[in-house]
Formats: sequence, C-alpha cells, structure tokens
Amino acid sequence: MDEAQSLARRASDRLLAERAADGDVDAFTALVRRHGGIVRAYAVKVLGSPDAADDVVQDTFVRAWERLDELRDPSAVRAWLMRIASNRAIELLRARKPEAELPEHDAPATARPGPADAVEAGMVADDLSQALRRLPARQRECWLLAQFGGLSYAEIAAQLGIPATTVRGQLARARRTLIGEMEAWR
Amino acid sequence: MNGDSDGTRVPGLAEAFEPERLDGHTIEELGEYLDAGRSPHDASIEDSPGCRIALDALRRLRERSWEMLAAQAGRDAGREQGWIAAVLANISREARAGRDVPLGSGLPDTRLEVTEGAIRGLVRAAGDSAGGGLVGRVRLVGDVTVPGAPVRVEVAASAAWPEPLHPLAQRMRARILDQLARHSELNVTAVDVTIEDIHAGDEAEPGASR
Repeated sequence: MDEAQSLARRASDRLLAERAADGDVDAFTALVRRHGGIVRAYAVKVLGSPDAADDVVQDTFVRAWERLDELRDPSAVRAWLMRIASNRAIELLRARKPEAELPEHDAPATARPGPADAVEAGMVADDLSQALRRLPARQRECWLLAQFGGLSYAEIAAQLGIPATTVRGQLARARRTLIGEMEAWR
Repeated sequence: MNGDSDGTRVPGLAEAFEPERLDGHTIEELGEYLDAGRSPHDASIEDSPGCRIALDALRRLRERSWEMLAAQAGRDAGREQGWIAAVLANISREARAGRDVPLGSGLPDTRLEVTEGAIRGLVRAAGDSAGGGLVGRVRLVGDVTVPGAPVRVEVAASAAWPEPLHPLAQRMRARILDQLARHSELNVTAVDVTIEDIHAGDEAEPGASR
C-alpha cells in the first residue's frame, strides 16, 4: 500500500491538511483522492455538464496546494476546497457566457437537453438533479454557491455581479421550488 | 400529498412556505436561521409549528443535496482518474520549502543546505515511526538559518485509539530527537509533542506493511 493510501485510511482531514501545509505530498494526495469526487460532482452541477469539470477540479487542487498556509481551520479543508472550486467554476461559466446573454433572473426555465442528460440517461434517476436543472439559471447558481460552496450572500453577489438582496430572494425561491418538488418524491 | 397514515391532514410541503403559515417569518429568515445552526435560539421560530415544519423541510433538502452530490461522486468513482496525476504533476514541491537550513560541509567555500520542508519531513517520518500515532503540524521555532542557533521543535500529533497518550508523546519525542541529531546540525533545545487528536487505531504499525 502506498503512503498516501496508508494515511488516507487513518488520518482525519485536519491531520492531512496540516501535513500537506507542511509540504507532505502524500498527505495532499490523500486529500485529493478523498475530496476530488465531491468537488468534481459540484463542478458538474455548476457548469451544467461534465465537460470542463475535470479542468475545474484540477485547477482547484493546484490552487489549494499553493494556498494551504492560508487555510485557517485545517479541519474545514473540504469546505475550503468547495469555496475554491466555486470561484473557478463561476470564472469558467462567465468566460463561456458573456453578461449580455445571461437570462433575467426571473425568466422561466426551459428544459435544457444537453450533455448532462445524455450522461445521466443510463444512470439512476436523481430527482433533485432534475429539479435543479429546471430552475432558472440565476436561482440555480445562487442555490449551488450557497448550498455547496458555502458562500455568503455578499460573496455570491460579488461572483455573479448582482445585489446581495437579489441573492437572498433567489435563494429563497430556489429552496421553495426544490422543496415543493421533494414532496412529489415521497 | 396532504394526508399521512393516521388520516390527519398535514400541509403539503408546497404550502408549508405560504407566509400565513410562518407566523410572521419568511423563508429567507428560516433559511438563515438553519444555516446559522439554529443558534442563537429564537423562540418565535422554535415555538411556531409552521416554522418547525418549514425548518424540517429545509433541513431535509440540505441532506438530500449532499446525498445527490455523493451519489454523483460515487458514479464517477469508476472513471479514469487521470486528472489526479495531472494535479500532482502540476504542483510545485518548492512551494512549501521554507527557510534554508545549513549543514556543515567541513570544506572551505562550500555551503550545504537542506530546506526547512525537508526537516519537517524528517520530523514527520521520525514521529510516525514511533508507532501508535501520526504527526500533524511541525514547527521549527528559532533562527534555523544560523548554525548553532537554538531551535525548539513543536509537533502536533494524533494518537491511534486506544494508544496511551503520554508514552506515545515520549516515544515520538525520543525518535524525533534521535533523527534530528543524526541528520541535521540543528541545535535542538526542546521537542514539544502535543497530542491534539485521536483517530481510529489500526492493527498494523505505521510503516510496517508496505
């Protein structure tokens, strides 16, 4: 068993993050393996497809390595990684869709058949995933950044270029819609 | 869906967020309250049945969301993980090197140095080799760049349950002192080992099975 695997079996996030911050590449590798899946799944949701998700994950971990000494609470390394991934994914999203093309925040969502649907087609249906895709883009982004990225209203507002009060309203709408759809699954 | 098994009518979830059911509160407020860990305790929310129902729904959405992400990660786990190798190829090991620590070469005009990062690695390996624990953070306190300057080594460690803590700390300390004496010229005045955490124990000693 390699050293990274041995560490990964026993070490907490905090221990791995502390060792990685001190330069332990095996500990960093263990962190990459432990959290890479979740970070990538998050990137897929934000980007709307798996296409550039690997780039986002790769960039996230390379940035994380460079900034490890900025991590104040090593036990919260996953939340910190999700925050870095949020920034990177939104950067990519903005690069693809210039401001002029972003939908008005209350525009009704249209069904978006796309690569994500093809990928999911052969897999177990995930009702929340589908409900998420049906949300208007602005609501979806606010919800993803709050729910998984752990960003504050102010941070989401800065990322998306909208007022914090708008973020608050969008998040509430998204939650209400998603919860309403949850009812249908019971 | 407006009935449960005992025939009592409970509001459907879609109705749960109607303003009149929230006793003057809004879904924004309830979301923020939940995100803050329901602290500090707000009696006007906690004593409202309508708010409790809505909070419960928000909490279940949150749990379901992480399950969704974990399920996606699980589906991806079998995929080719080439991106991991790409990450490791792209990180600069020098990023964590720290200060240059001199080693005497015995030769005129020749400086040998080892990085602080390498010394930390040495301390980690020594502490891990004590068995029964894992080294976490390592700090070299003092001016390591000056030969002979006094240096204190501070180590945080995690013990493998149910390893007795004090003997573990002593063992780690002894191993670290020994290895630093053999492989560096640091003037180590103290090695402080603090056991800060406990992790699940292992049958095998660290490093015993490769």
